[in-house]
Amino acid sequence: MLRPCDIMTVSMARLIRDGETVFHGVSSHMPMIAVLLAKATHAPNAVHLNIPGGVDPQKPRLQSFTSAGDDLWSPAVAEFPLQEVFDLSMRGGLDVAFLSGVQFDNRGGVNASVIGDYRMPKVRLPGGAGSAVLIPTAKRAIIWRTKHDVRTFTDKLDFTTARGNVSDIVTPLCVFTMYGGELILKSVHPTSSIEEVAQNTGFPIRYITLATTPPPTEEELKKLDEIDPQDYRSLEFR
Amino acid sequence: MTKLTTLSQAMQTIPDGSLLGLGGNALNRAPMAAVMELARLRKRGLRLVKTAGGMEVDLLCLAGCVAAVDAGFISYETEYSLCQHYRKAVQAGSVKANEHACYTVISALRAASYGIPFMPVRGLKISDLVAANDYFAPVTDPFTGETLNAVKALRPDVSIIHAQLADEQGNALIEGPKYEDVLLSRASQTTIVTAERIVGEDYFARSDVKANIPHFLVSAVVHAPRGAAPGACHGAYGVNDEAIRSFLSLTDEPALAAWLNRRP
Repeated sequence: MLRPCDIMTVSMARLIRDGETVFHGVSSHMPMIAVLLAKATHAPNAVHLNIPGGVDPQKPRLQSFTSAGDDLWSPAVAEFPLQEVFDLSMRGGLDVAFLSGVQFDNRGGVNASVIGDYRMPKVRLPGGAGSAVLIPTAKRAIIWRTKHDVRTFTDKLDFTTARGNVSDIVTPLCVFTMYGGELILKSVHPTSSIEEVAQNTGFPIRYITLATTPPPTEEELKKLDEIDPQDYRSLEFR
Repeated sequence: MTKLTTLSQAMQTIPDGSLLGLGGNALNRAPMAAVMELARLRKRGLRLVKTAGGMEVDLLCLAGCVAAVDAGFISYETEYSLCQHYRKAVQAGSVKANEHACYTVISALRAASYGIPFMPVRGLKISDLVAANDYFAPVTDPFTGETLNAVKALRPDVSIIHAQLADEQGNALIEGPKYEDVLLSRASQTTIVTAERIVGEDYFARSDVKANIPHFLVSAVVHAPRGAAPGACHGAYGVNDEAIRSFLSLTDEPALAAWLNRRP
């Protein structure tokens, strides 16, 4: 059975190129597993950077409550803590940052701060974490969001936490990509349809060529089970 | 000189309204025993500083101890969802959320540790955070004329850091991920250390692994075994799922007081 969490994780992994420096933060089980998958398949020389500062952790035993814990530090080959990951991005050395948010517009804007007014919000969100500095400075900011509806993908953000180098957005329905400053549809997951994507997106869907997201291969699924035997990649869907 | 004291005495030295730095990251090595004592002591008006906080911020908000939170991210991670008490307090207007990017907290602490009033940062190029907050302002490079954003220094009155080892003089060793704690100790006026284990006076002198927080930055040392619980502490214990879930089920301050009384 094809699960959106597997399709999303595999889609994120495939966006990582061999040799790239890649960072993910807190509350990021799915991208954390995607980085580990990319390194176990097509991108063995990608550099895994994270909050505890464990560079390239070898076969980490992942924990359910954190993607910023000592499981990524103890089996690492070098120490490079969060503050230095940010410094790396500021000087142009970070290739990929995985980030999320709650609202996205079709020009690559991200809101992770508030719904309503900033000072008297209707909903106070957790905040953008590194977004406001990483989205403009990382070469590519890849966004994932497990909710895909018209409130999430909207033509008007309540607040712009960051705008900059968003390159792709991976959702349970599809993958968007930035093209000429505009978010266009890159591929629709085999578990969804163009109609479902259009109905759940608050701005007009545009595309150049419409593809179906290639489903996870046998090898990718096998590696996923080795990397993530407890199935933490589905945490956000539970 | 011994700085060893009790948790209660150490927390009583923190005045209401203090700018308070907290060590650790999310549920990893946060100074939970100290935070619970601050809640028992009914501290008021605390202004918290942290890159990514979770349960400790949520608990202090439920206890009514907090006036403001300067942080990049306040939430439990995936499994335990959002910090509902923080969120409600901000939405009700009783707590001011000063949203940073995590890096601007780091930059603000670096400015304090360098003894300068602000730090220029790249990034923040197109963000409503700059106009919405008075701790960000444009700054011009005097050499090239390039415009960057500056973040105002954050110099905590006191920071609380939970370490695995400390001696009575205040030399403390953080094992495993250090997060921003070493910087926090340099940026703050003073630091209170809670430690899993107190070692003898000559421990660090005889070891090749030196303390990463030196005694002269530390005002008090507290022996606090399981001092990061119900969060995790590297090399000592993981999270206590049952205790976290029992906290998450609390809805008001009296329920929190009863919950705190049941804990050591």
